[in-house]
Amino acid sequence: MSSNVKKITKKELNQVFLRSCTLDSGWNYERQQHINYCFTMIPVLKKLYSDDDEKMKRALHRHLEFMACTPHIVTLLAGITAAMEEENANNPSFDEQSISAVKTSLMGPMAGFGDSVFWGSLLTIAVGIGTSFASQGSILGPILFFLTINVPGFLSRYYGLKIGYDSGTAFFANMEKSGMINKLSKAATILGLLVVGSMAASQISITIPWVIEINGIVTPIQEYIDWIMPSFLPACAFVLIYWLLGKKIKTTTLLLWTFIVCIILSYFQIL
Amino acid sequence: MSLTLQTLLIFAVAFFAYMHCYFGSTMWNRPIVVSTLVGAVLGDLTTGCMVGAMLELAFLGAVPIGDSNPPDMVSGAVIGTAYVVLQNTDIETAVALAIPVAALVAIFDNFLMMFVLPEAAHMCDRLADKADADKIDLVVRVASIGNKVALALIVALGFYFGIPVIERILASIPEFVIHAMDVVAGILPAIGVAILARNMMSKELAPWLMFGFLTTAYLNVPTFGIALYGIGVAMLFFFRKEEVLEGVDDNEF
Repeated sequence: MSSNVKKITKKELNQVFLRSCTLDSGWNYERQQHINYCFTMIPVLKKLYSDDDEKMKRALHRHLEFMACTPHIVTLLAGITAAMEEENANNPSFDEQSISAVKTSLMGPMAGFGDSVFWGSLLTIAVGIGTSFASQGSILGPILFFLTINVPGFLSRYYGLKIGYDSGTAFFANMEKSGMINKLSKAATILGLLVVGSMAASQISITIPWVIEINGIVTPIQEYIDWIMPSFLPACAFVLIYWLLGKKIKTTTLLLWTFIVCIILSYFQIL
Repeated sequence: MSLTLQTLLIFAVAFFAYMHCYFGSTMWNRPIVVSTLVGAVLGDLTTGCMVGAMLELAFLGAVPIGDSNPPDMVSGAVIGTAYVVLQNTDIETAVALAIPVAALVAIFDNFLMMFVLPEAAHMCDRLADKADADKIDLVVRVASIGNKVALALIVALGFYFGIPVIERILASIPEFVIHAMDVVAGILPAIGVAILARNMMSKELAPWLMFGFLTTAYLNVPTFGIALYGIGVAMLFFFRKEEVLEGVDDNEF
């Protein structure tokens, strides 16, 4: 290798880390997060291709391609592609196409994993914890909500970049082979489902206002229901909506119908 | 506090909230945070928190996965909370207000993402032809921050002109509809919870949903407690040595 080997330094990686935070802010229907992904990679590209406009041009176009990934873990991909760009800058026989190929093939599984962890399990857990405090009017609610999402969020963003760059392309294949991803997904899902179950019981509230009168003693029907099973009606509502969602009914439609049904039930004083 | 000052503060909160995805997708655009901030700037933090919790549950299913673009929670939370705090009404009113506002602003946001931001993308394409990375930097920054400014402006304008209008509309609503809103506020979380459950569910792991539900229903363990317990269970699974080869686990139902 020649002495003028181009090398990405900590400085560029730090910039990539900071810039990766903007990933979702330029989202558009055409190529989703692409302008911000390109923005994320620019410090690396400038370091590597500042003396070669032709390579720079191709690299910019490469990173303006379609991008859809979970923002909190996208740095892993950015790290891997940075390592590949570095190799491309130093090795004339490097196949540039492989950068796009790796990017395209990794973003799918990464988004699948990341979305379910961050917008699924973690958000659920954070909402569960946060609302249980906030509904009492406690400021701890939003604070705990914020920490639950962002401590893991920024840790994975930071170490994702490090791991991605250090181990380059071999990384994700290894994770997948050793089954780590599956295990992590599964563990996160168990935690998420426990919390969702708990939320179904504590956050959905439906009570029936009817009363029965036996020998002059007035008992609300709700009391009988609670004897049979507490949170019985919320469970029914949950199962019904879960089932309707499986029928591919849109959320907005469901929202609208909930409104309509509630207004009708309220008019006839059923609920 | 004058309406002008309040509007400025509302603009600041809305802008801050929309910018969450410029600062690491921190999710501080969720109602639980936004409503608290609105409560804080309008002088009633406690109510803000409580409205936030309620709206958070109403908007639980609204997550930006892939192509699905959810209702715009920020505008809904800001307007809903501001109304409840300033008019001293029931916190359930916030839900009745937030949902239509969020749906309306989502249309504007979609317009930006369909027609305006792709224009910025085409500008980047042209600049890439000239290998001009610095200009791309600039375009991306302006586009990314600019669309958030536009959204925050809409929210602030809605706040400035909207509250008296909203007040008149709400005053004319009959009693049974107001009660229906209370009922809706109780049921809406079911939609969000069900969506989340559907995203994670597999036959193999379904019992954990039941455990979570039954533990809270019968033993009144708060969700925080379940989450702590869940961490233990999750660790057990993560560190367990696989003794039996597992079958395909994508048996969703």
